Amino acid sequence: MIAESPKYFWFSTVRRRTRRLVVVVYWTFVLGLFGVYQWALVYRAGHFGSNDLLLPLYVVIFLPAYLGGVRAGGIVKPFNGVHWVPLPDRHQTQTLFGSSRPLLGKQYEQPPSLLALKLRVYQPVPAGDDSVWRSDERELHQRDHAHYLAFQAVGVVICVPMLIASMRLIRPSLMSWIPMPPDAMYYGLTLVTIILFLTLPQAILLWTEPDMEDVQP
Amino acid sequence: MLTQHINVTDNGIQPPGESGLYNRIAVLRAERGISRQSLADAVGVNYQTIGFLERGDYGPSLKLAFQIGEYFGLPVEAIFSTKPFVPLSQQVYGASTGATR
Repeated sequence: MIAESPKYFWFSTVRRRTRRLVVVVYWTFVLGLFGVYQWALVYRAGHFGSNDLLLPLYVVIFLPAYLGGVRAGGIVKPFNGVHWVPLPDRHQTQTLFGSSRPLLGKQYEQPPSLLALKLRVYQPVPAGDDSVWRSDERELHQRDHAHYLAFQAVGVVICVPMLIASMRLIRPSLMSWIPMPPDAMYYGLTLVTIILFLTLPQAILLWTEPDMEDVQP
Repeated sequence: MLTQHINVTDNGIQPPGESGLYNRIAVLRAERGISRQSLADAVGVNYQTIGFLERGDYGPSLKLAFQIGEYFGLPVEAIFSTKPFVPLSQQVYGASTGATR
């Protein structure tokens, strides 16, 4: 399930110790980012501005790409086992702009944008025999197990804001010690849930997968 | 499930790992000079999976077990077993050599 040559990292991911270090650094970065974000919300007494959408967008679009899984190019192979190639003959492809000249190279490690998909510049292709992208049955089993563990954790995280919300409704005086406004707190917890949903399965895989072995022992 | 510990018991037989299956993949591969990558390519899995299979940390699907059997030209029960395999030396020369199970 671990890609041997991830795009976003320049070091080898063969050793588990290295991968665990990546997970620690990654989560430290995410927690730091999230802490600053929450502090900014509290500092401004929960008043949201248009810039406050930047972090959620960054979290959803870019953060998962580094670990992989949901997108190709990270340390973990894409979970759906699909990589993206352009349509074989663009001359026969009807696009919005009608261009017959290929705009990009012949193969892509990154999934295309939604616009490119809508314009039928790309098509998803099952990974076939390419072991860089394709997961075999053991790796699929690992993927499913990691998701099972991750969703249990996500379920617990979701329960926390629900309990707090219930307490605030029933006994508002008990929850007056929380220094941040309710909307900021709920928004932050929702963001944590999304982050966990998108990155925890990959983190579990990176943490548990043993060292890669040599090809020719 | 994901740890790799190879221990040998008092009778010299390697425990089957977490899958509970004994196998002869490593022996057959060494006997025929086949690399993990070659075997993995032939049966359509990652070469890491071959290592997991050899250590008994992963139990293959029926399809993969048959593919491995076809690759080696042997029945599945000759490669995988729920009980420890009898050492080849004992099979060939019998118990008179003093080989222990």
